[in-house]
Amino acid sequence: MAGAKNALTTADLIIVGLEADSKESATRMLAERMVATGRVTDIEGYLEDVRLREAQMDTGLPGGIGIPHARSAHVTRPTVAIGTSVRGVDFGAHDGPAHLIFLIGAPDGSDDAHLHILAALARKLVHEDFRQSLRDAADAHQIAAIISKEVKP
Amino acid sequence: MRIVAVTSCITGIAHTYMAAEALEQAAKKLGYEITVETQGSAGSTAMPQATIDLADFCLFANDLDVKNIERFAGKPFVHVGVSEVLTDAESVLDTCVRNFNTGTFAAVDGGSRTTQTSSKSAAEAEKKGFFKKLFG
Repeated sequence: MAGAKNALTTADLIIVGLEADSKESATRMLAERMVATGRVTDIEGYLEDVRLREAQMDTGLPGGIGIPHARSAHVTRPTVAIGTSVRGVDFGAHDGPAHLIFLIGAPDGSDDAHLHILAALARKLVHEDFRQSLRDAADAHQIAAIISKEVKP
Repeated sequence: MRIVAVTSCITGIAHTYMAAEALEQAAKKLGYEITVETQGSAGSTAMPQATIDLADFCLFANDLDVKNIERFAGKPFVHVGVSEVLTDAESVLDTCVRNFNTGTFAAVDGGSRTTQTSSKSAAEAEKKGFFKKLFG
């Protein structure tokens, strides 16, 4: 697919029916996809950066979402890997587990313009109709298509 | 009711923008005018001084120090948690407006807008507890 290399996400970065016992495990599964697609160069280094951020404050949010994220020297371009989970994974939100998990990576030291796409994604996450469309999506390709259509820098 | 807001978060790539969007959506629903300045890593544009001057009060949802806080000097203000905004922005706005109307906000002690020491005085103001925290 044209431009997939530079897209915020692709079907290869999406796990529909992700089942994990912990946020660490869920985050690792998604990070492995980032490594496989060449967006993360060092999984342990990146996971450590995510863990440090997570330790400052839980990233679970109302509405059943978890957004582990970090700026990291081990990330090559702005990326989101997405997991959907029927059972949910506890990310520390007060209203229950996350059924949508967004693992966000930004290259350390990248400039403003480079990160606009992540700001656009963050703004979309607030909207329940957007979250619902991702939960309703049939497969990874459909989720990637929604992100590509709805999230513009 | 005219509100100016500043949002920021530790990493500057997610919560800053989510909080801004949540505030804008809630204000639209409640019929308030709001202008939000996102002080994140993914782009930050300073709002016009005229917008600040016309505002009734400032709402700071900031995990990091507000940049160039001297622009808000003299304005009534409130400091809320980013997580409160993401949990229920409408209730945060309603509470802020109610408290503003009853005159319980302190004014930003930013010093003169043109002095170099103003950010320092803002930091001192924070230490002195001038930054009211209404939630959590």
